[in-house]
Amino acid sequence: MTLFRLMWSFFRIGAMNELQYRVNFFVQLFQSFLALFVGLVGLALVFNYTSELAGWSRPELLVVMGVFILMGGLIRTAIQPNMERLMADVQEGTLDYALTKPADAQIIVSVREVRIWQSVDILVGAVVIVVALVQLNAGLGIGQALAFAAALLMGGVMIYCFWLMITTGAFWVVRMDQIVELFQGVYQAGRWPVSVYPGWLRLLLTFLVPVAFAVTVPSTALVGRLNLQTLLFTAVLTIALLLVSRWVWKTGLRNYSGASA
Amino acid sequence: MNHSGAVIQLERLGKTYVVPEREAGLKAAVGSFFKRRNRQVKAVDEISFSVSAGEVVGFLGPNGAGKTTTLKMLSGLLYPSSGSASVLGFTPSRRDRDFLSQITLVMGQRQQLVWDIPALDSFELNRAVYRIPVEEFRRTRDEMVELLEMKDLVGKPVRNLSLGERMKAEIIGALLHRPKVLFLDEPTIGLDVTMQRRIRAFIAEYNQRHNATVLLTSHYMADVEALCKRVIVIHHGRLLFDGDLSRLVERFSPQKKIVVVLADTSVDLSAYGDVIHKEDDRITLRVTKADVPRVTVRLLSDLPVVDLVVEDPPVEDVIELVFSQTAEEMLP
Amino acid sequence: MRYMLDYYLTQMKTAIVVQFQYRVANYFYMIGMIAEPVIYLVVWSTVAESQGGSVGGYTAGDFAAYYIVWTLVRNMNIALTPYAWEFWIQRGQLSMELLRPVHPFHGQLAYFSGWKVVAIVMWLPIAAVLSIIFKPTLQPTLWEIAAFGVALWGGFLVRFVMLWLLGMITFWTTRVGAFFELYFTVELLFSGRLVPLSLMPVWAQHVADFLPFQWAFGFPIELLLGKLTPQQALYGLGMQAFWVLLGGLASALTWRFALRRFSAVGA
Repeated sequence: MTLFRLMWSFFRIGAMNELQYRVNFFVQLFQSFLALFVGLVGLALVFNYTSELAGWSRPELLVVMGVFILMGGLIRTAIQPNMERLMADVQEGTLDYALTKPADAQIIVSVREVRIWQSVDILVGAVVIVVALVQLNAGLGIGQALAFAAALLMGGVMIYCFWLMITTGAFWVVRMDQIVELFQGVYQAGRWPVSVYPGWLRLLLTFLVPVAFAVTVPSTALVGRLNLQTLLFTAVLTIALLLVSRWVWKTGLRNYSGASA
Repeated sequence: MNHSGAVIQLERLGKTYVVPEREAGLKAAVGSFFKRRNRQVKAVDEISFSVSAGEVVGFLGPNGAGKTTTLKMLSGLLYPSSGSASVLGFTPSRRDRDFLSQITLVMGQRQQLVWDIPALDSFELNRAVYRIPVEEFRRTRDEMVELLEMKDLVGKPVRNLSLGERMKAEIIGALLHRPKVLFLDEPTIGLDVTMQRRIRAFIAEYNQRHNATVLLTSHYMADVEALCKRVIVIHHGRLLFDGDLSRLVERFSPQKKIVVVLADTSVDLSAYGDVIHKEDDRITLRVTKADVPRVTVRLLSDLPVVDLVVEDPPVEDVIELVFSQTAEEMLP
Repeated sequence: MRYMLDYYLTQMKTAIVVQFQYRVANYFYMIGMIAEPVIYLVVWSTVAESQGGSVGGYTAGDFAAYYIVWTLVRNMNIALTPYAWEFWIQRGQLSMELLRPVHPFHGQLAYFSGWKVVAIVMWLPIAAVLSIIFKPTLQPTLWEIAAFGVALWGGFLVRFVMLWLLGMITFWTTRVGAFFELYFTVELLFSGRLVPLSLMPVWAQHVADFLPFQWAFGFPIELLLGKLTPQQALYGLGMQAFWVLLGGLASALTWRFALRRFSAVGA
């Protein structure tokens, strides 16, 4: 399928490009460890005073942190670079290069950039998850693992759709740089399971910025709390978001090229 | 040894840069984190000259010749590696407050004015920085705004001004504190011809009125020709020439051009000199300076000459010639 | 001396005008910034509730107060980032500043001070909204408010001077990202930004006492929350002064060498 072929091509080029700067790897590793350290300190401090938080035990919260780091790595490796470049292209008028290629424009602008060194976080997150699962003494059944993978994928897709819709806003409101910072701030909420947050905030983190689906839901899959209903609901929502974001993208594109509705 | 009346004096001033060398590869990159491998670059190589009050001196040289470095040393931005400099009796690198308050450095491609606010507000900032008494400040400011025809423009945010207007505002800002010494580094770069002339006139006016000393670098010969009687030529960090502009041409250009208009266009003039251009009835000959009188006489007596002009090569060509030769070839 | 005052005021005025023009960008930034304390707030309130109402002397209402005041202190904390130095140098702007008969430190300090005025004004509605949502318990006495006002600016000065000192490293090496990140991480943990210092283990609190970070962050917050006695408040203000002086001295000394270094590798 074209999508996967394109993804692989762009990935190869991006990776080759960045592999030249090997020092960046060590810098990234260092920064990831610092971030992990801070996260662990935060967790330790909380558990100095309590033994469970909103129904989650310490190892379970460690799982959440692992998923948070992993998903963060995924976002910063594959999603954010593309969206930032799209924003820049719209601002500087260089989007045309992407539009005149013989492939679907949305695919191109979504897969052409990759920041390979950020994938260090994917590894770090995975390690944390493994450690946490060991602490939990829980075996990981095939069903759970599959559910986790599915939830992760869908969460990632939803974040992608969210980003796409926001970035498409750049077609109308050209300056969108602050949105990136805003997102990064809100995403931090994913460190903790959304059940910790008060009702209205929980709604915001589920339906406005899909942090819940990005981090909490996959985590619940890993710790064995995910029920089929939620998973199906997530699937439906993912498909709906894909359709909506595609529509928003097309509208924005039409607007950009000056074509009539 | 101080030549009395010298406002600027350089004594074998030199500047050597330390340039880090970087290699590719991770090991080298990590290694460079701890210990740098360095290369020495001599940007300015023992220059000496002195400038008296009120002089306007042109500083010529190709890119990388050491002009900007010299100006930066004279304005206190860089410590000299060797030799000494003295401006208005101060050692520039000491960066005394009194020294900085009497000089100004204007660099064509950099700006001092705050981007988002009207130039007038930036001027206020300068007033506070240089501690200019309010009355005097207002007078100077209004005088300059008037001279440069910026009355309607100084109230607009700087980012809304065109390049030329911005440059004019920059110059006003730079002169509000009535400095006695002006270092101008490519002040007219990127501007259109009218604007260049306007600014040149302004600088000349300022120099006249306040007997200020001006050291000016430029790529545009028109700047130098219009403002400077004296030029200093620098190349590869060494001083090649210091004297009148006309003498520069005389000394470095051994050839002149003779443009002849003949009644009979079929004549072949190659016997008289190098024919470098032929257009209808105008023929241009290149002749060595020494031969000019003899060739001219022969042309006038042998041929039906309608018009004859002896021209100096354009100064640009001379300068180019000067720069294309190495320093060793140039020095006597 | 009055010239200096004149200069500071003029520079501050300029900063206010410019930053007001950028108010939308400023607002976006401030709103993005509150995500962090809100998360801390919610988590710790939950912990407090689960532990019978309070944790380490802080009730849920206390945590709300702590983290809302946090947003003001955080805004005041923002100073010239050490990364800016590299930018300055490359753009040639440092040269421009060096030509003036005023030390660049004053120019930057004055500019940021003006910016802070705008920040404080813009912060008020945000604080109001946060207070409505999270219901903080805050009843400071008059002297506490006055001392807080001083401590707020003191904290800004402390952080400004320390970051200035830190930033000068860029004169000697450009690979400074990792080092700065380390600094900021240590600061995060020992300043009272992550959690109120009294919730940290005792050994960490001892370490924090030797570092300047808490005087720029946790101290003003605790002051307004009424967690300090007048003696402790005075001691804190004294510590702020101490660190400003120490940092200032170190900066002045390092500046000479920094300029020489700047001069050696080109302006």
